[in-house]
Amino acid sequence: MNTQFESLGKVTLAMPAGRLDYGAAAAFQSQLEKALAGAAQAPVGMIIDCAALDYVSSAGLRVFLLVARGAKRAGVALALCSLKPAVREVFEVSGFSQLIAVYADRAAALAQMPA
Amino acid sequence: MTERHTAVPSDAAHLPALTEFLRNFWSETGLPTVEAVPFELALEEVFMNVVMHGSQGGRVPRVEVSVALVEGGVTLIVEDDGPPFDPLSLLAPNVTASLEERPIGGLGVFLVRQMMDSVRYQRRDARNQLQMTKQLAVGPSTSK
Repeated sequence: MNTQFESLGKVTLAMPAGRLDYGAAAAFQSQLEKALAGAAQAPVGMIIDCAALDYVSSAGLRVFLLVARGAKRAGVALALCSLKPAVREVFEVSGFSQLIAVYADRAAALAQMPA
Repeated sequence: MTERHTAVPSDAAHLPALTEFLRNFWSETGLPTVEAVPFELALEEVFMNVVMHGSQGGRVPRVEVSVALVEGGVTLIVEDDGPPFDPLSLLAPNVTASLEERPIGGLGVFLVRQMMDSVRYQRRDARNQLQMTKQLAVGPSTSK
C-alpha cells in the first residue's frame, strides 16, 4: 500500500492506494499520525480520500479508529470520502460509517471542513 | 470439483502468500474479482486470529487452507494444529458504541460472520477447523 499526502490550505488530504491489511496497517497509522500533527502546526481538518483503496480488514479499521480518536483529541476535523463498494461494505457492517464522517466524494468532504 | 490447498506456519509474514494463493484460485476458476474480497477478508481475519492466539509454549502452529468451488459458491476451510480455540465463542463487539467506547479488538471474527453465509467451527483430530461458505452473485465466467 502507498499513501500520498497533499495540502489544501489548512486541510490535509491523504490518499491511500492499494490494500490496507495487517501488513500495511502499522506504516499507514504512523503516516496518518504524523500528518495529523502537521509539520509546523496541526491542520484544521484531514480528509482521507479512499478512491484508490481496494481493501480494508479489521487491522485497517483499527487504524481508522485510532486516528479518529487522535483527531478528536487534537481538534482536527476528520472525514473520509470516495469509498469503493468493497471498502464501504466493511465500514457499514462494522458500524464505522457511524463513527467517522463518510462523504460520497472529495468536494462533499471539503465542504464540511472548518474554514 | 475445483479445489486448491496450501499450508504455511502461523506467522504474519505468510499473510501475503495466502492472499496470493486465494487470488490465483480466483483467476484459475474465472471468478469475478470483486467477489474475492469477502474471502480475502475472511482468510486474513481467521489466519491472523491463529497467529495472535494460536501459539503456545513457543510452538508455532501450522495452518492449512483449502478453497473449493461448491454449488453456486465458494467454501474456504482454515485448519490449525494449535490449542483448542473456537473463534465463534467470542462475543460480538458492540458496533453501535461511540468513538471513545469502541473496543480496539474483536472486530475480525465479527466481520467474517457478517460477510460469509455460514461459518462453522469444529475441533477434530487435535485441530481447529473453521469452514466458511458464501454464495456468489455471479458464477465462473469460463467453463472448462
